[in-house]
Amino acid sequence: MIASRRAFLKTAVLGSASLVIGFDGSGLLYAVEAKPGTQFQPNNWVRIDLDGSVTLTIGKSEMGQGVRTSLAMILAEELEADWTRIKLAQASPSAVFDDLGTGGSDSMRDGWRTLRKAGAAAREMLATAAAARWKVDRASCAASNGAIVHLPTNRRFDYGALVTDAGKLPLPKEPSLKNAADFKIVGQRTPRIDGRDIVSGKALYGIDAKIPGMLHASLERPPFEGAKPKRMQEEKARAIRGVRTIAKTSRGIAVVGDTTWAAIKGRTALAVEWDDPPAGAFDSEAHEKLLEAASRERGFITRTEKPPPATGAVAKTIEATYHYPFYAHAPVETMNCVADVRGDRCTIWVGTQAPNKLQKQVAELLHTTPEKVEVNLTLIGGGFGRRLAVEYALEAAEISRVAKAPVQLLWSRPDDMKHGHFQAASVHHLAGGFDAQGAPISWRHTKAGSFHNISPLDPKEVHDAAWYQDWSWGTYDVPYAFPDIETAYVTVDLPVKHGPWRAVFAPSSVFAREAFIDEMAHVHGTDPLAFRLDLLRGADIVKAGTTTIDRRRLRRVLEVVRDKSSWGSPLPQGHGRGVACNAYFGHTYIAYVVDLGVDHDGKVRVERVVAAVDCGIVVNPIGVEQQIEGGIIWGISSALGGEITFRGGVAQQGTYADFAVARMRDTPAVEVHILPSDASEPFGMGEPPVPPIVPAITNAVFAATGKRIRRLPIRPEELKAV
Amino acid sequence: MSEIGLTVNARKRVVNVDDDMPLVWILRDTLALTGTKFGCGVGVCGSCTVLENGKAVRSCQIPASEAKERAFVTIEGLSLDASHPCQRAWLEEDVAQCGFCQPGMILTACGLLRDHPNPTDEEINTVMSDSVCRCGTYPRMRKAIRRAAALLREQKR
Repeated sequence: MIASRRAFLKTAVLGSASLVIGFDGSGLLYAVEAKPGTQFQPNNWVRIDLDGSVTLTIGKSEMGQGVRTSLAMILAEELEADWTRIKLAQASPSAVFDDLGTGGSDSMRDGWRTLRKAGAAAREMLATAAAARWKVDRASCAASNGAIVHLPTNRRFDYGALVTDAGKLPLPKEPSLKNAADFKIVGQRTPRIDGRDIVSGKALYGIDAKIPGMLHASLERPPFEGAKPKRMQEEKARAIRGVRTIAKTSRGIAVVGDTTWAAIKGRTALAVEWDDPPAGAFDSEAHEKLLEAASRERGFITRTEKPPPATGAVAKTIEATYHYPFYAHAPVETMNCVADVRGDRCTIWVGTQAPNKLQKQVAELLHTTPEKVEVNLTLIGGGFGRRLAVEYALEAAEISRVAKAPVQLLWSRPDDMKHGHFQAASVHHLAGGFDAQGAPISWRHTKAGSFHNISPLDPKEVHDAAWYQDWSWGTYDVPYAFPDIETAYVTVDLPVKHGPWRAVFAPSSVFAREAFIDEMAHVHGTDPLAFRLDLLRGADIVKAGTTTIDRRRLRRVLEVVRDKSSWGSPLPQGHGRGVACNAYFGHTYIAYVVDLGVDHDGKVRVERVVAAVDCGIVVNPIGVEQQIEGGIIWGISSALGGEITFRGGVAQQGTYADFAVARMRDTPAVEVHILPSDASEPFGMGEPPVPPIVPAITNAVFAATGKRIRRLPIRPEELKAV
Repeated sequence: MSEIGLTVNARKRVVNVDDDMPLVWILRDTLALTGTKFGCGVGVCGSCTVLENGKAVRSCQIPASEAKERAFVTIEGLSLDASHPCQRAWLEEDVAQCGFCQPGMILTACGLLRDHPNPTDEEINTVMSDSVCRCGTYPRMRKAIRRAAALLREQKR
């Protein structure tokens, strides 16, 4: 059902009169009557054709979060559209669609604010048009399932019959939105709109794009910045059948061939030998030592809560240092892009989370303007933040320019693993203080880490507390009621590419925080779940730096996992149960209880996870469950799977064999409890499930073995029975 | 480089490719059957899985010279209308997230159910653990495999 952009364009141009509603660049509603064969408005969210079919435009990238389905649900709900007749179109970057980025788990919140109004305005105009035709009061007309019904007489007009009239009406300034109680689509378990395409192999990802005359490229990149090729076997590469060109670009040496296989073989035959790494090339072990030393510095203070005068003195302090490694995104679809450069124009087919940035940077590369770069968005075979970087599109454009042909660039698995923009390593130093009576009264958390370097920092930005908080989610926003809090951030330069990963900065900090809270509970001699609940008393709404946390919502998710997991019930020998929770940006609240076993070889097996989530209004419960399940599996990968290490400036891992990710055998039974929420909007679910799962696992390992995990990933040899 | 005859989705095809070109690229580049995905090229992720006589095989590990005269079924050939019990079960359990690995997973599950019509958890773990889903659809896949097994048994009755 997903119309390709070209197919959509064709229908729009050939289609007859249609009512068009959308937003201009500043988010204001506008309406136009699309005349037969003459008009196409690329900035439309809603289009209704004479035949009554509804075309909804999706302005976010689909990468498995089900965003095409859930955004369409929001639009269809307010529009009272017939769900079975909906068509979707994917927005492409343009002057109007100037902010299509997908990240930060904000699609639902964004969509809720803008798309409801678009749908409601269309519905009101259709009702006004119908009322005028019947010469009745609009209040006696109601929209229902793709038609306006005159309630007293039960007469009806399908939307298609009202398109021409409605298009002539002025746009309602503040269309009235539906009451939640009247929702028919939002909140319903709704299967993915593209589900059949996926199971039939018809869903099209970037790697599946094919255009006439397209060649295939494989790119040999410098293994570290500044590396120069010492020698290569150009003649041997050219001798491979199907190899057309060896394209030397600013980003590496590409072998271009008639087929993917010719390009791969040509690159192997080219056998580029690169410079040896310079002395002092990046080494993750040395970097870890720098981070560890930095974690003991004072750093930039991101949050201070001064203890009230009545607070007793700290009588006992515990301290711990937590180590968090580098990770790769490792999406199953490796980076790829089709680029067709012709003069100062370029057409691109790509899976990206950052369409506008991609368009702008390709335009800069080609010394042209963004409107001359057409970017067609495909489905994404795994994003996780990786496809917020756009270098693979720049590579493809450069190769196409040299090869003078449309080119598909495909990264190999080792390319993808070694040239990612990694989740950065960090080290956390924490200290907790108890007063003379043993009550927990102080909290110190210093994160030593690195800013993202996939795009340059804005030199105009003021580096104040809010700015540093933005780089240290999960550190400054500790939700617990310590009278005395100080959190800090120390930056350490990191020369390898690093950038957003699923849950961005939160996983390392929440791991350290939720594991150390367990350490404090243990010293305090209190059950760790009860200890958390005790520390979530006091003011319900608290300001933690730039974030507002509702402790009631956090307590509720903890209470639900406590009750649903039979927290406190006995477990067999070698088994343990752990808990952790998090308030993601004060938006989505999640708690987990993990049951696991540790065998004699120290191998951890997560057996059961009970999850409770409050993500505000739930648009599609299936989507919420899937994201929790996926977040848990993601966390199992980072707790029990592989890490990325660097020697001589180069990532040492290159396959799923040496960077292990969770498999079916690592999968626990998962129970998801979605809590009714008093929030007035939906919050994101892509990232929030990730941060609290790892500490819930390591806390369960402690319960099972008495061994505190302060370094990831967990190494079985450390847990081996002695 | 030679002419190679093979059968794909019950259709005889003749392709003119290098002897060492893996089947995954014959399917994707030569025959434009892009439902079969490339994920790793070394047989550790399962994205390129196709069926041969009902058995799941990795198309990145079969060079053209060995694919000769053999018959394969890709996701496009599993059914005309997503009606195969595995596809139905996958839809009914709402398995897919990004969906990229799912053709390979569905065909791997077909192979599993051929050998184990009523698979135990351990059998599911053993066979399915050779494939990677980074979105983490495993809990739903497990349910879908059980549902597909039931559908297949029903079909046989």
